[in-house]
Amino acid sequence: MKRITWFMLPLILFLGLAVFLFQGLYSDPKARESTAVAKAFPDFNLPDLMDESIMYDNSVFDGQITLINVWGVWCTTCAIELPYLESLKNQGYRVVGLYYDQDLDPDFGTKTIDRVRTEVIATLSKFGDPYAFNIFDVYRNTSLDLGVTGAPETFLVDQQGVILVHHLGDLNERVWRNKFAPILADIKPMTDSSDVEVSPDVGSSSVGASSAEVGGGE
Amino acid sequence: MKPISLILIKCCFLLLLTTSPSFVFAQDLNTSDALAKVSEAEKMGENYAFENPDDRKTFLKLTAELRCPMCQNQNIADSDAMIAHDMRRKVYQLMLQGSSENEIIEFMKQRYGDFVYYQPPVTPVTIWLWALPILFFFVMMGVFLMRRQAEPEENIEAKLAAANKLLKDD
Repeated sequence: MKRITWFMLPLILFLGLAVFLFQGLYSDPKARESTAVAKAFPDFNLPDLMDESIMYDNSVFDGQITLINVWGVWCTTCAIELPYLESLKNQGYRVVGLYYDQDLDPDFGTKTIDRVRTEVIATLSKFGDPYAFNIFDVYRNTSLDLGVTGAPETFLVDQQGVILVHHLGDLNERVWRNKFAPILADIKPMTDSSDVEVSPDVGSSSVGASSAEVGGGE
Repeated sequence: MKPISLILIKCCFLLLLTTSPSFVFAQDLNTSDALAKVSEAEKMGENYAFENPDDRKTFLKLTAELRCPMCQNQNIADSDAMIAHDMRRKVYQLMLQGSSENEIIEFMKQRYGDFVYYQPPVTPVTIWLWALPILFFFVMMGVFLMRRQAEPEENIEAKLAAANKLLKDD
């Protein structure tokens, strides 16, 4: 009998290894836990993308639930998610852009601010404009403080300026339903009971149609 | 589930490494490789000048040890992703502001998690990375010794049985 256990041992080890490696085939190597969640949005003082005389700081979050969408015109996926973000805006959510540009930097060459603005206007008029306004992260310091690795990324920030959700990649109906809607449902009743009716509406047909378009575009 | 699978990978890797004597050389090569790439990047136009040669060494060491969050298997010295550029610049800025090596590593860890530094911290979950190979060694040692001790007894019994058989046959 002892001999049988010795015989079985390599088999068991092999099966264990096989199961482990099999799991690896379907795991997402890019999935990481964000360190930004449950922390206050990092302090910033940045200009408006379209008008540098307007400055924003953390008071933009006061009293409102905000979606901060990190994006740039050079990023294809950002353009693809614009229609969905616009549908969120139409549902009454406040979407604010945190814009950063690759080329407006000594590291990457030069691009004038006027050209950036022209490109932004062109992109937004083509794919839809979900943004209440765009904060211009000129040197990408705020993105770094947020732990942004690339665009697009979306943050859900509550009325006190605390980050509730950090999503890497594009925002679509599935992500919204699984990642954002449950958390919004938790905080909404505390603030405004009339808004609660909006949340269940998230998976409605109009949204479904627009996200289907997005899926087809990819 | 994630950290456990990571540990298992690491363990397999460690086991492979401990059995191969070329491990030490391989590691040396990797770091010098990374350093060579940094100086290449410097030549290509990113100029991070230091007055003190020790600071320059620290910068090269930090950019070799910090991991690019975008392109997972490259350090920030090696990677050309925008985030790696930004992180190099941040490391440089922080160094000019007088931050120590550990403060810079902490700064990056706060933003990008333990992932960003190639040296994992020792926690109840990660302790197995070091404990498992040692444990494996001792278990195998134990098995080896037990088997060696068991053998002579078997032989004696077998010899006794053979002797008895001979006696009976006679």
